[in-house]
Amino acid sequence: MKKLTLITTLAAGSLALAACGGSSDDGSSTDEIMIGSVHPLTGALAGVGALMNDGAKLAVDDINADGGIEALDGAQLTLGEGDSKGAADTGQSEAQRLIGDGAVALVGTYQSDVTTNVAAVAERSKVPLVIDVAVDDSILEQGYQYSFRIQPNATSMGTDGANDLIEMSEAAGKPVESVSYIHIEGAFGQSVFDAFKAEAEAQGVQVLKEVTYAGTNFTDATTQVREAASVNPDVIVATGYYPDSLLVAQAVNALQPDIDALYGVANGGFDDSAFPGDAGAAGQNVLSANYHYGATNDEVADIRQRFQEEFGKPMETASVLAYQSVRVIAQALEESGSTDPEELRNAIADIEVDDPLLAFDGPITFDETGQNENATVIVMQIQGDAVEQVFPEDFATSDVVYPTNQ
Amino acid sequence: MSAVTERPAPVVDPGDPRLRDRTTMRSFIALGILVALLAVLPFVLDEQSQTVAIRTLIFAIMAVGWNLMSGYGGMFSFGHAAFFGIGAYTSAYLLVEHDISPWIGMGAGAVLSAAAGTLIAFLCLRYRLAGAYFALATFAFAQVFLLAVQNIDALNRTEGFNVPILPEESWSMMQFDQGSPIYYWIPLGILTIGLAGTIWFVHSRTGQYVQAIRDDEVAAESLGIPVMRYRLITVALSCGFTSLAGAFYTQYYFFVGPEQAFGAAVSVNAIVPAVIGGIGTIWGPLVGALIVGPLSEWLTEVLRDPPPFLDFLQGLTGLDVAVYATLLILIVLFMPKGIYGTLRDRFRS
Repeated sequence: MKKLTLITTLAAGSLALAACGGSSDDGSSTDEIMIGSVHPLTGALAGVGALMNDGAKLAVDDINADGGIEALDGAQLTLGEGDSKGAADTGQSEAQRLIGDGAVALVGTYQSDVTTNVAAVAERSKVPLVIDVAVDDSILEQGYQYSFRIQPNATSMGTDGANDLIEMSEAAGKPVESVSYIHIEGAFGQSVFDAFKAEAEAQGVQVLKEVTYAGTNFTDATTQVREAASVNPDVIVATGYYPDSLLVAQAVNALQPDIDALYGVANGGFDDSAFPGDAGAAGQNVLSANYHYGATNDEVADIRQRFQEEFGKPMETASVLAYQSVRVIAQALEESGSTDPEELRNAIADIEVDDPLLAFDGPITFDETGQNENATVIVMQIQGDAVEQVFPEDFATSDVVYPTNQ
Repeated sequence: MSAVTERPAPVVDPGDPRLRDRTTMRSFIALGILVALLAVLPFVLDEQSQTVAIRTLIFAIMAVGWNLMSGYGGMFSFGHAAFFGIGAYTSAYLLVEHDISPWIGMGAGAVLSAAAGTLIAFLCLRYRLAGAYFALATFAFAQVFLLAVQNIDALNRTEGFNVPILPEESWSMMQFDQGSPIYYWIPLGILTIGLAGTIWFVHSRTGQYVQAIRDDEVAAESLGIPVMRYRLITVALSCGFTSLAGAFYTQYYFFVGPEQAFGAAVSVNAIVPAVIGGIGTIWGPLVGALIVGPLSEWLTEVLRDPPPFLDFLQGLTGLDVAVYATLLILIVLFMPKGIYGTLRDRFRS
């Protein structure tokens, strides 16, 4: 029987290890309100995950320094930090842990599949989730009542991206008539492309070619760019993540096709502040339609400067979105005067944030699916070693160079 | 005690009813006590720990399935994600597109998975792929499944499937309130079936043949054992059972995508607990899962709020992964038979 005892002790012991976790007291005393943050803090996306977590942290500190939540007697906010490790199931258990620890709302998570899981947890726990970054349309198509998204979805980014290109090229006196489109395979690239194509063709712009590539083991974009250029388009449009977009820009620079512009839509590379340095000459004058922090907004400049001082890194757009998400929750707490998740949810659903930190068309307001109705993209351009906002004019920090090879 | 059951002295006829009754009986009693102990855990665990316990059970189910084929059958599979994924996707597809109960989907997934596994193993064995080549071939098949799913419109390509959330609990749709202990008892039940099946298998004539084939294929064949048939039976059992873990995964996490189902990490999740616990033993995969499952969670917890003497560790990210890897290396180096396998041998001598 000795061995049997051993096995059972081992078994019970190891599962009891799990029980050690999460047993800390819930910390939800009346003068402290916890917001849960779920981001990839370890793994391949740890860099951007940490930036977003720091953005949320800075927002909490700023609100506390400003006197906390006045409607709740100056209650202070705390940030419960969760690490999704980039995996959907870990994201789910982290979200459950934070809710168990007393989080009244969640922000997160950067990746669409992790967000899908966390949104399901939020829905079943009846705790609101404010999505800072996660583009996939389908997340909000489940009919969830507790999920809200501040950034534009894939479809609206494709549509707005087409619109902006047409308007901008007309304003420059060289209206675009045809494009070739290079995008990454999968939901992200495909859905952005579909929306772009529908809008472009509705406005009489021809999409001559669709060239796709697999995101894995993608080491050279020459073939794709050559194929895209073979039909003599006015513009080559590109949708992808950072490493592959860098390759596309480099291939365009090497082949020098006769085009007016290389134009990113929802592109994960072209407006990153590391891109001008990494791409060098290949990055010059590359255009990118994407959501972006409001570079013309003084408050954003102040926040970004303090972020840089405190964390020693530039505050990218994703991080500003995390900051914004915490602010949305804080404003909802202020307006509802309650930490009850149900009342908080209703306050978020009815919210109107008049001074968004992002370059959006209007205040942050959510439609019945939870999507921010005024989330829009703007056009940016690499000029020198800076990412400048160039279109529309309201947000412009510099004049657009178009065609880009002039 | 269970140890004695697994390696009857070769001179004894494994079919000898006296031997079989005594040793299998003991294993079943051990299993009964173990399950009874594990079954009360939801009453003492908080909600967060319960999610860890459930993940641990999913690991254990996969490892038990993998162990049948690779531990007892000697056919090292590096592609069990394929079968986990078939289970996950079959039940998700039937539920989302055709409103079919996940219980039925689970069964359908197991049948499909067993069929796919048998076909793959047949091809590999037919063309004499053994050892590393067999492992690589299974890995390649899993990757093919991953790529295929990402490109099939009917399976939503990279979007995967979202399980619709029902307003109320439903047994027929395998959906319960968040934190409900039923979410723990279902995988525990599946695991119990798997362990009971393993005990039965090991002592059955089929299992004895399979182990004989593993130990010396040529000798077994010369004695008239139909090698291919018994190997394929083992593969079918292993793959069908592994797919149950996938089907439950989808229902519990409400979402499955290509990476969650067919990613290489999934195959590793099936192998590591079995290796750590002890390959080719009844209890090894379970022991391994009980260590691996809570480990990273526990380490994360320690690092999040370290005791005073470990204060310097606070805020270090990725340390849990490093500890996990180190542990794996140490166990493989010093306990080549796995924790359970090594302890068993020590107690026996």
